[in-house]
Amino acid sequence: MVGAASAAAAAGVTEMADKDTKIGAAIAAATCSLLGTATPGVSIAADTQAPWDVESAFLYYGESDGRVKDMSVSAQATRDYGDERKLGIDLSLDSLTGASPNGAMATNGAQTFTSPSGRATYSTPAGVVPLDDTFHDTRFALNGNWSQPLARLYTLNAGLGFSSEFDYQHLGANFGMTRDFNQRNTTLSAALAYAQDTVKPVGGLHAPLSQMTDAVDYGEDGGGGGGGGSDSKNVLDVLLGVSQVLGRQTVLRVNLSYSDSSGYLTDPYKILSVVDPVTGDLIGRTPAPGASGPTGVYLYESRPDSRRKEGLYAEMRHDFSGKVLQVGYRYSTDDWQVDSHTFESRLRLPFGSSSYLEPHVRYYQQTAASFYRYSVAGGSAPLPEFASADARLSDMNAITAGLKYGHVNAGGNEWNARLEFYRQTAKAPSEFLIGNQIGNTQMPDFDAVILQFGYHFKL
Amino acid sequence: MRKLIMLTVVCVSLQGCASLGVEPWQREVLARDDMQLDADALDTAFDDHIYFSKEGTSGGRGFGGGGCGCN
Repeated sequence: MVGAASAAAAAGVTEMADKDTKIGAAIAAATCSLLGTATPGVSIAADTQAPWDVESAFLYYGESDGRVKDMSVSAQATRDYGDERKLGIDLSLDSLTGASPNGAMATNGAQTFTSPSGRATYSTPAGVVPLDDTFHDTRFALNGNWSQPLARLYTLNAGLGFSSEFDYQHLGANFGMTRDFNQRNTTLSAALAYAQDTVKPVGGLHAPLSQMTDAVDYGEDGGGGGGGGSDSKNVLDVLLGVSQVLGRQTVLRVNLSYSDSSGYLTDPYKILSVVDPVTGDLIGRTPAPGASGPTGVYLYESRPDSRRKEGLYAEMRHDFSGKVLQVGYRYSTDDWQVDSHTFESRLRLPFGSSSYLEPHVRYYQQTAASFYRYSVAGGSAPLPEFASADARLSDMNAITAGLKYGHVNAGGNEWNARLEFYRQTAKAPSEFLIGNQIGNTQMPDFDAVILQFGYHFKL
Repeated sequence: MRKLIMLTVVCVSLQGCASLGVEPWQREVLARDDMQLDADALDTAFDDHIYFSKEGTSGGRGFGGGGCGCN
């Protein structure tokens, strides 16, 4: 009863406030046009001279030691049809090359593996974390989004997304609503997204925890290695958010998120080393006579077919006389036991009449998934139902530090560039280490450089 | 009972929000591009995509980052 009365009272206040809003909004529109800034929360006609607002960028992402490199071009175009009706189109093209850790552990001797295609082999020298260098891919992604007011104070948005890689297809749809309260100082939002992805691994699907076999040459036109076929996964995301103006210089956003993935969640290219249950050393294997193949026993990984994640995200922006401080925090937890904390901050420092510098730091830390293993014990011990040696599921932390520079030219368009460094450090939980592995683990840690050039313009 | 308490908490929180905020003519700072919560959307999209590929958790800010095999 108390709650209902409060809600009714709040609604009454909102109605009265809205009348003031119209007068205030007209003043705000006039003030903002004098100041040359965008008008908040006020319906204005689209700029018919330049209805398209386009953010475009080229990104280079390069990891140390010849690992993954990504070159990407991307554009986000928004067309304003006036009265807050907007169409957004995002296009992205990625080209990936380089080597990726296959999950096997480093050993005292050289190791040979069958490549994902099942047709050839690759080798890793002694003492080195094994990398699969057959990895390369091109990804194309297209997203469309429409938003418009539905009724006074309500905004609706809906979108469709598609992406395609050689071995992966993604189809997604999202739908959301926002409702403004309190003279548009408070906005509540609710959104739902559903995705259906198809995985068609090179060399086919492998049964969970099946053993890597010798390479087979099928000739120029025939067959393929592994089990063939494809599988799918479905992801449902729910997001509830509130954004709140805290004062003339401060705005806050808090999101609660829930994500439910089901289906094929395994990485088809990741393997685990099978080791002696006492010494922890890799169990050797000899390829069949005349064949080339793995020189150790390796199993393809196995992950559960469902994952439920919950998250809390908070972000605040505060203006200090033209300088803008942005701080963010995210907590995520899931039923794979991966809990993570992310802290992020940016500080935009304007200088001259039309330039800015923006330092950025980010810290990420996560716990290992319950089924993460550095290796799997062979012998008579039964295999676990699920196991993965993917370092992205181990105890891990990562730090990013970078700087962005932006300059607005005479036409009002912005050039910018940013350079960032990323370092990831993982650790195998000690309870999973066996014999000689204790004190001798080598994780596939890496450094990466992120370099981006962007141009933000109107058409 | 628990739901009633939750509802009361939500309503009181919303009323708390009603006392926060500014008048429409006090928005000159909040209206700037660099004060928008979705500013630099392309940087965010790139970052979400990179961290989605390299770390065990993703998302939270929005739905970005997904839809890739990403090994």
